Amino acid sequence: MSKQQPVLFSIGWNACINCGACVAICPQEAGFVSPFDTIAVDRPCDIACLLCEQICPVDTIRHEVVATDSVRPVSAGIR
Amino acid sequence: MPQLDYDVIIIGSGPAGSTTARFAANAGLRVLLVDKRQELGAPIQCSGAISRHALEQVGIVPDAEFIHEAIYGFAIYDESGNRTVHDYRQLKADEYGVEAGKKPLGYVVDRRRFDRYLMTRAERAGVDVWLKTEGLGYTPHPDGHCTVRLQRYNEIKDLTARIVVGADGLQSQVGKWAGLQTHIKITELAGCLQFIVDGVETEGLLEIITGHRWAPGGYAWVFPKGHGYAEIGLGVVATMTDEPARDHLHRFISESFFADRFKNSRILEVQGGGVPLAAPLRTQFADNMILVGDAARHVNPITGGGLHTAVAGGKIAANFLVGHIGDKLPLTDGALKAYQDLWLAELGNKMWKLYDIKTDIFHNMNIPERDDQLYATMSDYFSPTSEFKKI
Ligand SMILES: Cc1cc2nc3c(=O)[nH]c(=O)nc-3n(C[C@H](O)[C@H](O)[C@H](O)COP(=O)(O)OP(=O)(O)OC[C@H]3O[C@@H](n4cnc5c(N)ncnc54)[C@H](O)[C@@H]3O)c2cc1C
Ligand code: SF4
Repeated sequence: MSKQQPVLFSIGWNACINCGACVAICPQEAGFVSPFDTIAVDRPCDIACLLCEQICPVDTIRHEVVATDSVRPVSAGIR
Repeated sequence: MPQLDYDVIIIGSGPAGSTTARFAANAGLRVLLVDKRQELGAPIQCSGAISRHALEQVGIVPDAEFIHEAIYGFAIYDESGNRTVHDYRQLKADEYGVEAGKKPLGYVVDRRRFDRYLMTRAERAGVDVWLKTEGLGYTPHPDGHCTVRLQRYNEIKDLTARIVVGADGLQSQVGKWAGLQTHIKITELAGCLQFIVDGVETEGLLEIITGHRWAPGGYAWVFPKGHGYAEIGLGVVATMTDEPARDHLHRFISESFFADRFKNSRILEVQGGGVPLAAPLRTQFADNMILVGDAARHVNPITGGGLHTAVAGGKIAANFLVGHIGDKLPLTDGALKAYQDLWLAELGNKMWKLYDIKTDIFHNMNIPERDDQLYATMSDYFSPTSEFKKI
């Protein structure tokens, strides 16, 4: 496992084309997805490899580092 | 064993899932095919090029319902616009052409209509199809069957079956349910973007544009889309560029040797997706489960094409299941290795060979040399004498 700090992703939905590339590259376990077939945006990712940000053809994924002790669900992110 | 709800439950009604379903039901298996979407194929994540041979092989008659345009050959370009053309209307004039008695080499299909058409064929063969139904997980049981958890609209349903087929595409979760190693390397997944455009002329050819300058790690393409429309797209590998596919596509349209050809193009649709330029999964089976299509990474590692391999693989999977279940053989992972062996013999070993060719090219760090290699390989791949013509 990486020593990265957990991150919470947010997606600019206006730019997202629902292509699913972020889910395809994601090394997380099954189910780390949003209802819109993107990577999950309602819970932190503890791997934080950020490959989804690299693969996104329209560059619409961002993240913020979350403190490990404040791991709590946040409502789906609209930037 | 208790009376089971189905013999086979298939997760995902793309080309792989619906073809598996159709052949399995034709042979008398009781099949449920589910897809989470409300409209199959949408949003489109595919350019839709498929050979006529691939359709015929799985008993699909080319039909106006799903065809955008017929294709008669290929044009492969290097970075500066020099091209190799394989126009089968000239190469095999007695066989290919628009005239009566002659045939196209392939088609560009509308994935929305194509996926629906294939699903309808499965349904008419006796398959139960549930849309708006998502596969959530499965549990193998000691007596040899399994339970599959589905969510149909808002209702959770646990159904019993002999086996579950993961045909859930590149974002496959079914393999992950069983703990299979499905992760794909960032160096082997191309991020793709494509525009359907008006105002760009095409000539019945699939055009492939190579060159690091336009599409680092992948290639760009111009496909005819029917009604006078075209598709312009490209795929890039993230580790070979700091920019997203969108910036590359913009540059290809405005700065490449096609800038003049594209200058009046108007965008009608925006689509994209991930294309694996990767090897097939090393393990495509687990207890009471097999994978097919993109979910098993049955994709041509050189072209990124996965439609032919999805439908061909679906037929192989169905034939395997029919024989295996018919003979009452166990569905434990050890026994299902026979599926993968069959697939390798019929299709997979060729794909591994293509993967080795592709890997050799992209391991070359000298960009001009690599560009030359890719151009030569692509030009050869689509030639009538290519040894890989059939995949
Ligand atoms: C930009 C782009 C261009 C391409 N162009 C071409 C081309 O020109 N020619 C070609 O041959 N190939 C092309 N491909 C590849 C081709 O699209 C795929 O290989 C092909 O779609 C694979 O078919 P499939 O049936 O395996 O999966 P998919 O077509 O991805 O189908 C999977 C289905 O499963 C459903 N599903 C997923 N998860 C679940 C779940 N949990 N529960 C229920 N349903 C689920 C999905 O809704 C979907 O309908 C392209 C790909 C991309 C991204
Ligand atoms: S990769 Fe980007 S565009 Fe594609 S689904 Fe994910 S966020 Fe949306």
